[in-house]
Amino acid sequence: MKGKTIGLVLGAAVAFGLPAGAAQAEALKIGIIESLSGPQTSTGRLFAAAAKFVVDEINKNGGFNGAPIEVIEYDNAGGTTGAADKFKQAVADGVHIVLQGASSAIAGQITEDVRKHNIRNPGKEVMFINLGAEALELTGDKCHFYHFRFTTTAPMRVNALVNAMKKAGELGTRVYSINQNYSWGRDMEEATKAAAKVGGYEVVATVLHEVNKIQDFSPYVAKIKEANPDTVVTGNWSNDLLLLMKAAGDAGLKVRFATTFLDQVGNIANAGNTALGHYVAHPYNIEADNSDFPEAYKAATGHYPVYIEPQTVNAVRTLGQALKTVDFGGGDIKVSEIAKALEKASLDTPMGKITVRAEDHQAVIPVVVSKVIENPKYPVDGTKYGFGVVEIIPGPDAIYPVQEACKMERPA
Amino acid sequence: MLARIALIAGLLIVLIAVPPFLGIGWQNALTNMLIASLFAMAFNLLVGQAGLLSFGHAAFFGVGAFATLHLMGAIEDRIIAFPTPLLPLAGAVAGILVGAFAGYFATMRSGVYFALVTLAIAELFHSLAPHWDGLFGGEAGLSSMRMPWAGLTFGSPLQVYYLALGWTVVSIFLLWAYTRTAFGRLTLALRDNEQRVRFMGYNAHTTKVIIFSISAMFSGIAGALLAVSNETANYSLFSTHVSAQVVLHTFVGGSTVFFGPAIGASIFTLFAFYISEVTRTWLLYQGLIFVLVMLYAPQGIGGLVQTHIQHWSKISWPELGRAYAVAAAVAVCLTSALVFVVESFAIIFSPEYAAVRGRLDGAWPPFKLFGLEWEVFSPFTWIIPLGLLAVGLLLLPTARRMLRETWNHILERAEAARIAKSEIQLAGAVES
Repeated sequence: MKGKTIGLVLGAAVAFGLPAGAAQAEALKIGIIESLSGPQTSTGRLFAAAAKFVVDEINKNGGFNGAPIEVIEYDNAGGTTGAADKFKQAVADGVHIVLQGASSAIAGQITEDVRKHNIRNPGKEVMFINLGAEALELTGDKCHFYHFRFTTTAPMRVNALVNAMKKAGELGTRVYSINQNYSWGRDMEEATKAAAKVGGYEVVATVLHEVNKIQDFSPYVAKIKEANPDTVVTGNWSNDLLLLMKAAGDAGLKVRFATTFLDQVGNIANAGNTALGHYVAHPYNIEADNSDFPEAYKAATGHYPVYIEPQTVNAVRTLGQALKTVDFGGGDIKVSEIAKALEKASLDTPMGKITVRAEDHQAVIPVVVSKVIENPKYPVDGTKYGFGVVEIIPGPDAIYPVQEACKMERPA
Repeated sequence: MLARIALIAGLLIVLIAVPPFLGIGWQNALTNMLIASLFAMAFNLLVGQAGLLSFGHAAFFGVGAFATLHLMGAIEDRIIAFPTPLLPLAGAVAGILVGAFAGYFATMRSGVYFALVTLAIAELFHSLAPHWDGLFGGEAGLSSMRMPWAGLTFGSPLQVYYLALGWTVVSIFLLWAYTRTAFGRLTLALRDNEQRVRFMGYNAHTTKVIIFSISAMFSGIAGALLAVSNETANYSLFSTHVSAQVVLHTFVGGSTVFFGPAIGASIFTLFAFYISEVTRTWLLYQGLIFVLVMLYAPQGIGGLVQTHIQHWSKISWPELGRAYAVAAAVAVCLTSALVFVVESFAIIFSPEYAAVRGRLDGAWPPFKLFGLEWEVFSPFTWIIPLGLLAVGLLLLPTARRMLRETWNHILERAEAARIAKSEIQLAGAVES
């Protein structure tokens, strides 16, 4: 033991703080690198709150490796530079697992930082659990063994929407695609085009517009009207979704919107009855949850689980399942063992089973297609509207093929 | 002069000798401090010395970072061989080229119009970058890895720190040397009276383009150092936030003092590093510091330091010490009161606290702050900040009077010494 300690002290010049010795159980440290100040704060805090909720659950049942799991929050101030800084800080603090979700750009930064850190520090790996960044390249070009994604991607959401809406007879044969001009919007456009054959529709036009800069969508709505579609598929979020739907409502446009982020907090309150009848594909719908999770979550955080919170809870719970299968006997934590266990872990949720695909570490998760209805069991945003379940598509049916760009190197 | 060299040498020794004994969190923070300092110094060449306030310096910072990442990528893919420590040269070249091009247009106008053109240039990059995947890597940005060179792995934060230190020191030295050249004097003349520069036969526009390019070049080096340190860059480097940050650093540090911007950048980077871990309201405090400095020390922190050095021999330290002790007491009282109220409100109005209240059917449970528990409606809770506020406000006029009187004495002595000196010179002139 003494020799080991000396070795560690010598190694500290190149590495980081001293891990606790074998006499004391090493606590698993989870670092949440989120936007906790600035414009993205509201989403960042939801991720943090949901993750903490599950860690508290695990700690109540004895924690991990003989000690409670520690959660450390880092504020990335909404930017990649801040995230890079905080990742370094997290490594300095001895964090084993990094959680993040509010932005694909930041996730791209963190996943690369994790990859490089692991190349340079074999035996002291860090793992990244991506809670909400949906850019396809994260499990494509940029995929690596220590990145896990526990959210859907564009093809999963679009395919679910198309199938469910077709079955409900509300899809029609003319589909219009309008999206934000960056990787997510482009992913959505590609997915919409790719699903045309299965959905039996024609993509009448595609539009990519600036991200969160447009104040008046009426010219876009006029174009939609001209193309005369039955359904408008959009991956827009935040103001771009709200203003688009409002402009469509004002112009008296008779189309159905197939969306991906309509359940973002405040959207329904803002859109009011213009949202009625529109569709959303998301990983969770509280209406279909008969477990005690919604009430337990409300008791802990003051509100029912919304937006990205349920997927975060499921991600960390799946990690909890994986932790049950590894045992370091109170000794040093090996992140590579946890990553291997997480590949094999599965979680039963009220929506269906969650597993992890070993080839690219994309979680296979069920997708719920819902429709905005009046007077549901759980109205949202203090309105009388909420999301009625149309169909739940099980994970294996919703998943897309592994991207060819992903070449994952597995540890020995 | 000798004292100044000794001071700089001492600072350098500290910057070289201390970091190996710090944790990697601090090493990384110090690297960021150096980068921010160099960026602010480069920026100040334009705003402080040439009198051109740019609101778009993020453009050159970002361009430097992206150019460096392309070079790093080429090294990683073994397309070319290039020594890792010289990577920032790519940032310098990109900075000077883009700076010359952007500067040609921006410097056609001065004042507000100049500021607006620079703002537009940065915004141009910010909106184009996410769409030019090949050049800027989309919104996820470019990524690469520092390659080992000459036995150095450049894997540890400490090695990166020394690389940044070397480049920052050399760059700041060059910026200082620049001010000693004839062209450096011309830069100042341009700020003070552009019309006169033109009458003297200089082409004011060409001069401004050159100054702009040099400033952009050093900004590019700063961006390059960030790229080397983070090994990634994405389009958010072009955001107005980055441009605003450097303006903030420069003015808090003091744009009229050579080392002012570096002081401002260092203080704010370390402030952000340390305080952002402690509280989520750190941006509010940073903003308050900026407002206070602008209101009560418009010359910046660097200006304050310079005033002290300038009048060093005339300062009566016991008198000044007393005045500063009272002022510090006032500052501590008012700051504690403010921090207590802000942090308490941050807790009371937080969703977490609302959740706890929801569990307790709307009761107001005590909240934890500074390791103690406080009752929300107990007068004892609020007597503390109110008491501190009252003490602070009571002492404030005394502190202001003492500071004013002490400095008046110092300035009087300085004035008297100046007059005495000129009288001696005058007498000497009469005798000869």
